[in-house]
Amino acid sequence: MYEVLMFDGGVHKVDELLDLIEDVGGFVLQRTQVQVMITLTIAIPAEDRPLIEKKTAELGGKIVEVPLAGTEIAVIGPTLGRHHMPHPICDIAEHLRRYGAITIVMGLARGRGRKTCQISAAEKAIIEEYDAAIFMLGNFKECVTHEKIDLYKDIQIPVVTVVGPELESLPHCEALVCGVGRKVERMRRSEEIAKLEEIADRVKEVIDKRRQEIEEDPLFVHPSEVKDALDDMEAVQVCLRPAPVVLHVDGLRVKIPYKKHLHELEELEVYGRKLKDIAVISDCRLGDSTIIKIKTKAEVEGKVRG
Amino acid sequence: MVEFELEGTEQYALESYQWLLERILIDMGITNMIERVKFVIRPDQTLFIISLKVKQAGGKRPVHDIAEMEQQEGGTFITIKDESYAPRLLASLWRLYGRERVQQLTRLEIFVEGVPVRELEDLKLDPEEGVRSQLLDAMWRLLPEGLKIRNEYFNDNVMTIVATEHGMTVDFIAEAQKVHTSMIKGEED
Repeated sequence: MYEVLMFDGGVHKVDELLDLIEDVGGFVLQRTQVQVMITLTIAIPAEDRPLIEKKTAELGGKIVEVPLAGTEIAVIGPTLGRHHMPHPICDIAEHLRRYGAITIVMGLARGRGRKTCQISAAEKAIIEEYDAAIFMLGNFKECVTHEKIDLYKDIQIPVVTVVGPELESLPHCEALVCGVGRKVERMRRSEEIAKLEEIADRVKEVIDKRRQEIEEDPLFVHPSEVKDALDDMEAVQVCLRPAPVVLHVDGLRVKIPYKKHLHELEELEVYGRKLKDIAVISDCRLGDSTIIKIKTKAEVEGKVRG
Repeated sequence: MVEFELEGTEQYALESYQWLLERILIDMGITNMIERVKFVIRPDQTLFIISLKVKQAGGKRPVHDIAEMEQQEGGTFITIKDESYAPRLLASLWRLYGRERVQQLTRLEIFVEGVPVRELEDLKLDPEEGVRSQLLDAMWRLLPEGLKIRNEYFNDNVMTIVATEHGMTVDFIAEAQKVHTSMIKGEED
């Protein structure tokens, strides 16, 4: 089982740490260097954590827990209307990034209104490509409890709902956070930051649950191992988009066009097997990317036997 | 301090919209222009009414109300008392007499060449076209985006907007007019 951590320290002798990570069979997921300071998001086998911690202490750096690293989360509001700016969904997305998640903000085309709010099949399909979704539903209790819940009713990924009024519970969602409604300014008061923390905690719980489910029927390889192989591809190396490979709980998003690189991706070798045998490669709904869903160990080995 | 009157079925919605309006007004710097606000919010009927009353007594204000005028040799010397009217007064004078004849000596002192005091005394300043558009902007920012069917009522001091989602009913219009009238009456009391 891999554990994702963040190293925060100086560049002096950081090569020793990088060598150690490689020796224990870990990966560097992201490397950000600003002058002499460096942050590394790393995935290492959980049992080797003490070794990494010892080395970090030796180098004078620190290890930061990033519980949401390796996830991509969609934060969705019924509208991104200009007159609602600044949106609390932006604050939520920004706060989750501090815990290592990669987040996107999304507004629905026709999500505003009470009886008129809708979500399209295409929007649902886009949302389902993420690991979890946060829906922000507004200030009116009547509207939220009767109409707006239909927006996320059929969504197949875990949903955390954020609403203004205090509610006991809402159907169809994995978690509920009350007390965050419309805002006309950034969320920077202490009680608002506490709310952001609460949302992050709920998301962490939801993601942990998802990870546990996956562990019961483990993936054939950890997504970071596929990332390691993908990083050697020329198309990924020349990709100028930020974070060309994004980890999901059960797969990856590679920001290279599906049609153009499908064959290359299918033939990619991971631990002696072709990627097409151990994962489902599909086109992404959003902008020239490819989604890779890694098959479970049972699926892969069962197929080989058959 | 703006006086709020809240009416509706959901306390959280009312309080949050009061807070939102306060923040919007502070953001736009027009808090001191508003005297009273009334909200009627009933999410179960999809009804949203907002009524704003502007602080300044309405109608056109004569120049002698906001400035002191003194006849001098060759023209009139004006000292502005109410600073908020200074830009509008200057703009009106420029429009009437041209820039060559209107000299702004200091921030609040204007000299108008060749115009007697009695002529200026008749001048009246149009009330706050700018304020009205700012208020509309504030109300537009506040109104829930989904409530697209809107009716407006306004006179010099009070602006009321009623908004709903599907169809404006007679009851909604009657209620909005009632709110509007009560806000106007409030000013007479």
